[in-house]
Amino acid sequence: MSVAVRVRGLCKSFRDATRTVEVLRGAEFALEPGEVAAVVGPSGSGKSTLLHLLGGLERADAGEIEIGGRRIDRLDAAELAAMRNRTIGYVFQFHQLLADFTALENVALPGRIAGRSGAELRDRAAGLLAEVGLGELFDRFPGQLSGGEQQRVAICRALLLEPPLVLADEPTGSLDPASGSVVFDLLLDLQRRHGTTALVVTHNPELARRCARILTLEDGVIRSGNL
Amino acid sequence: MNRSFAVELALRYLRSARRDAFTSFLSAVAAGGIGLGVAALVVALAALAGMQGVLRDEILSRTPSLAVTVAPEADPFEIERTLAGQAEVESVQRVIEGRGWVLGAGTALPVKLLGHQGAPPRSLPGLAPEARPGLYLPDRMATRLGIAAGEVVQLASARPSLTPLGPRPRLLTMRLEGVHTAGAIEEDAVVALPIERAEILLGRERASRFYVFTADLASALALAARLPALLPAASRVETWRELNRPLFLALTLERTVLFVAVSLIVAVAALALFSDLQLVASTKRRELALLAAMGADERTLRRAFVWLGLILGGGAAVTGGVVGAAAAWALDRWQLVRLPPGLLVFEALPFALRPADLAAVVGVTLALTLACAAYAATRAARLVPAEALRA
Repeated sequence: MSVAVRVRGLCKSFRDATRTVEVLRGAEFALEPGEVAAVVGPSGSGKSTLLHLLGGLERADAGEIEIGGRRIDRLDAAELAAMRNRTIGYVFQFHQLLADFTALENVALPGRIAGRSGAELRDRAAGLLAEVGLGELFDRFPGQLSGGEQQRVAICRALLLEPPLVLADEPTGSLDPASGSVVFDLLLDLQRRHGTTALVVTHNPELARRCARILTLEDGVIRSGNL
Repeated sequence: MNRSFAVELALRYLRSARRDAFTSFLSAVAAGGIGLGVAALVVALAALAGMQGVLRDEILSRTPSLAVTVAPEADPFEIERTLAGQAEVESVQRVIEGRGWVLGAGTALPVKLLGHQGAPPRSLPGLAPEARPGLYLPDRMATRLGIAAGEVVQLASARPSLTPLGPRPRLLTMRLEGVHTAGAIEEDAVVALPIERAEILLGRERASRFYVFTADLASALALAARLPALLPAASRVETWRELNRPLFLALTLERTVLFVAVSLIVAVAALALFSDLQLVASTKRRELALLAAMGADERTLRRAFVWLGLILGGGAAVTGGVVGAAAAWALDRWQLVRLPPGLLVFEALPFALRPADLAAVVGVTLALTLACAAYAATRAARLVPAEALRA
């Protein structure tokens, strides 16, 4: 399952004690259902902010965000939380597993939040872990897993409820190049097999080229193009 | 995985907090403080209830069940017959009361004169049950005046007699029959004497007062409700409750003050619990943001922290209640708190744990814990996920 994403005139600024920094100045783009795109741009250009806004993790100053035909900038906090649970799978750069939960429990978290439990949820989580080669490590805690293994667990978690949209923020940023490449391929492979729409923020031009489309974020606006 | 997610998260964070030395220490301080406070409160209230119960029984045993006052023109014998004829009544004693002085050793000491029918009233402690009618002074007063049983005492009335030479104080000379131990304070010193002699000092036209003794206190209250219809219009009926109103008020006040004072320990511990939850929330801020990113709403996160607070604080409150109740029982069962003999009516401090006290202590503690946990939980859950993820 996948959704279309439409972003129009997205603006976001941050204020500190002395100044206001405009990170997004009317960013606009659209993703078709099932499309995978990389977002690239220099550090501080607002890539993570763009993902946070798309995922409803914070509010935009102005602009429209439409996911699957629904304006998420008009949702209240509870509706946003429900939307995040059912529509979006997140993969972050690091520190993204809950230390007190095993790999299997971490993968099952979105299901637990959705109120699901029992053997079906457990089997689904275990199946995803097996798909990424971690079938034997399901009862390990994050502290007992390598960085690459943790990222694979996080990808499984993002896909547990088969969300139509996956947002990945530097998913390989904390890994060495070889591990990063494996994890990135895994993410794309799962995305293709599950048919989700995906937006991946990365610094790595080589990894970005593996995506069907590249969005370059410069001066607060999106410029589509190839590297 | 069929438990509520909020409870599951609370249990995980509880386990996690135990692994972190500082958080674990703070949790122990908070839970220990709450448990200790509850146990202390339960033991203190049990001690007070035990002591007050004994004192109350002792005082009530010396208080008439009812005191009936009728107008001077009423026929005291008729009133006495009416009272004695009631089913609940065990005995009726007519008394008259007034003010006067005991003269001796070159001084005059003010006293309350109590004229009574028959044997001295049982409201005077320290008298043998078979005490003969006669004059009884407070023991301290007798010592001060240097008077012993068998010696002669002079009493004066505040009500003078009119003579051709002008008003003269009414004087009465009597042999001291014995002493009683009531009236440690001079103003309250009671001098008991037969009613016929008291009437010489106080006058016959004085309002009659009757001490009515019933089988039990509850039947006295029922009788008091019925009596006004049976007595002359201007009569006044006072129950044991009204006669001891200052005492009962003092006992209630004492309990309230103690409850509030010891509750402060619990309140401080509850604040420590708040700090502990804040620390957990602070260390788990990024995880909370991750959970929010996965779709956990504010309500779920708030519930998790309320559960964490209730597990810590509620567990401590219940444990403290059980420990306090067990301690109170043991202290009473084996009379572990001994007192100097003769100081009070008991030689070991009695402990009486009332279920209502236990429920109140645990209830108040749980309410305080819940309030602190709810506030901490609200603060923990009210986060902007993106800000926590950026931090």
